[in-house]
Amino acid sequence: MLALQRDVEARARDAGLDVPEIRYEVVDHRELNEIAAYGGFPVRYPHWRFGMEYDRLAKGHAYGLQRIYELVVNTRPVVAYLLRQNSPVEQKLVMAHVCGHADFFHHNAWFSHTDPHMMDVMASHGARVRSLADRFGLEAVESLIDRVASLDNMVDAGAMAWARGHPGNAPPLHDASGNPRVAPGDILGHMLMGAALEDWQFEILGFLRDEAYYFQPQLLTKVMNEGWASFWHSRLMTGSLLRDAEIVDYADRHSGAMGGDEGPKNPYKLGLELFRHIEQTGTGDLDELFRVRAVHNDLTFIDNFMDEHYCRESGMARTGDEVEQAREATLAALTNGGQPVIRRIEGDGGAGELELEHCWSGSELQLAQAEETLRNIQALWGGPVRLHTRQEGRALLVSCVGGEIAREYGEVVDASAVEVNPEG
Amino acid sequence: MSGEQGPAGCSPGRIERDRSRFVDIVRGHIKQDLKRYVTGTEMIGRKGRHMVSIPVPRIELPRFQFGKNDGGQGEGEGEPGGEGQAGDGNSPGMAGDQSGQHLLEVELTMDEMARILGEELALPNIQPRGKANIHSPSYRFSSVRRDGPQSLRHMRRTMREALKRQISAGEYDPKNPSISPTPEDMRFRSWKEVSKPDHAAMILYMMDVSGSMGREQKEIVRLVSFWIDTWLRSQYQSLETRYVVHDAAAKEVDQDVFYRLRESGGTKISSAYMLASELLEGAFPATDWNCYLFHFSDGDNWSGRDTEKCVTLLRERLLPHVNLFCYGQVKSAYGSGQFKKDLDQAFGDEPQAITCEILDREGILPSIKAFLGKGV
Repeated sequence: MLALQRDVEARARDAGLDVPEIRYEVVDHRELNEIAAYGGFPVRYPHWRFGMEYDRLAKGHAYGLQRIYELVVNTRPVVAYLLRQNSPVEQKLVMAHVCGHADFFHHNAWFSHTDPHMMDVMASHGARVRSLADRFGLEAVESLIDRVASLDNMVDAGAMAWARGHPGNAPPLHDASGNPRVAPGDILGHMLMGAALEDWQFEILGFLRDEAYYFQPQLLTKVMNEGWASFWHSRLMTGSLLRDAEIVDYADRHSGAMGGDEGPKNPYKLGLELFRHIEQTGTGDLDELFRVRAVHNDLTFIDNFMDEHYCRESGMARTGDEVEQAREATLAALTNGGQPVIRRIEGDGGAGELELEHCWSGSELQLAQAEETLRNIQALWGGPVRLHTRQEGRALLVSCVGGEIAREYGEVVDASAVEVNPEG
Repeated sequence: MSGEQGPAGCSPGRIERDRSRFVDIVRGHIKQDLKRYVTGTEMIGRKGRHMVSIPVPRIELPRFQFGKNDGGQGEGEGEPGGEGQAGDGNSPGMAGDQSGQHLLEVELTMDEMARILGEELALPNIQPRGKANIHSPSYRFSSVRRDGPQSLRHMRRTMREALKRQISAGEYDPKNPSISPTPEDMRFRSWKEVSKPDHAAMILYMMDVSGSMGREQKEIVRLVSFWIDTWLRSQYQSLETRYVVHDAAAKEVDQDVFYRLRESGGTKISSAYMLASELLEGAFPATDWNCYLFHFSDGDNWSGRDTEKCVTLLRERLLPHVNLFCYGQVKSAYGSGQFKKDLDQAFGDEPQAITCEILDREGILPSIKAFLGKGV
């Protein structure tokens, strides 16, 4: 194993990748499912939703529906979990793939704020949550986490840059001169500044916000990250790593990962093809690829490189209209990691209120869920909470006061909203 | 290299605690407020030749996310609790895609049901008696042949054969690695018969069908035996079941008759124990079999003399033969319940003999716990 690791990493470095130190852990199915359920961190705080994820993975594995080969965690050193049952060819393939991810974590700008010691951070969050549960009761701690976890997509990607050079993953709540500064989309940050909570609740809220900012870049670069790793495993394997006898097994595995869905549903395939597309149509020198992997996120990556030529070549679209549609659909699926953008706005209600706005991008919020989420926000916040959104072409204000939801429909907004969704 | 060392190792039991917490919420034991977020999604799997739907319950915490809203919700009140279907936009109609295939609904697999039963009642796993001389045949697709049906074609082996042939014939060009198999390169999966040593087990159910055992009593017996079956089947690979009914005389019947038959007349329990002894000694020698004996009655035997005969039969022929003898006394309007008292008096300190009174349906689970709680 160690020899294999040295061989793969040496070849990856020769090819130009900057491979940092990688620590491999060889685990069995059960352990790998467990680690995957905890999002890569077996030391994480206890919560039933990790148990739920494990249950799903374990059943999927028991019925042969899915199998995880590998899991890479963005820490220093990079930790990669390999399945013990992988064949030698698979291990080689997976290691080459891991080299790609490790390089990406290190060089993509959107990861530059993440804490290199995340394994320790998670462990200390876990230990602290456990001790708080001992003190305030498992039920109370769990209920708080249920509420906060329902908001864990409410961070502001634009604010990630502020976190660079600061301890932890989340942007600081004050600027250099000590004045409060919270990005409009950082709802979890606003909670920390103004919610009516106890100290221990603030502490847990802070942990979860920190973890949310840690995971955010992975949501924003799924296509690029998997594409980059696939591009490199393919290049390294077929370039020099494979022995002739292994080519068929390799092709079988590789095509397994690349098959199936098209577009954003299969980040491996879309990402790999786009990187190859850049390689073939650009200057032909790898420097451009390295530059692309350093500065883009999925949205700008697709916007810049999923051009007409690629859409036609890949069979996604034939006519100009179809190309536009394919691009639009892919961009929409990846905007803000596929999540709606919700920001805080200055309301007219005064200090104790929280006024939110759903930035309209053409799709409606799922309303029943939005209202339940709003209830969770209100329960944490204490004071009244309002959300401005749209439904069926009309403005909609949903407010939540003391756990009670009220809807108020307003004027018909521009007709373009209806055009996007004809059945609306 | 191993996963145990270092901070990255998994701590034993941690995920199981989170999982059982999740399962408890799904079953509504704890945190009732989350129960409304439970959605029943499913995975489509394959079991043998059948497609099966594997239930994967999920608790969907609400989030701001895009999604369709039913037009009907309109203005006004709007029940916010109507989320049921809200979260599961992921895979509607998955079952429909598989048109023409048989889709079996397995709400729960039997294994899963047994597991739940075992958890609920904290049943210990059974330690089979050390006899593994029964060999049951099974088939494993572990070898490869040159001919076979297309459905069993082994693509990788085929391609590898083709590659071998091309290399040895000098036709393979690493610069342009195209491989085309000829019919001689084709390889197919094939099976081998393997026989696995197994612990053999049998259950013999005996039931009193005399006039005093009514419909409800039989229903209770049926439910109890169903759970016993489910549990023992999860513990032994193969399990035989036999059924004996008795009033004043005993006879062996099949399962269907066992639950339907309604005789009338008196009750001579010794007749059943006699038949059981003959059956066990004849077909299920104790050296080869783990035998489980269950008897259900309302406890109203013909006479004290007959009860004495029962005790002798049990002591001399049945108890030495079986892993477990369980007597379940179902309460009926007529039964005196004397038989249980007599058995308790005779075998009170005998760990292999267990008696239990089942007053009504509420008593079913405690009786199973009493019967199977020892793990023998």
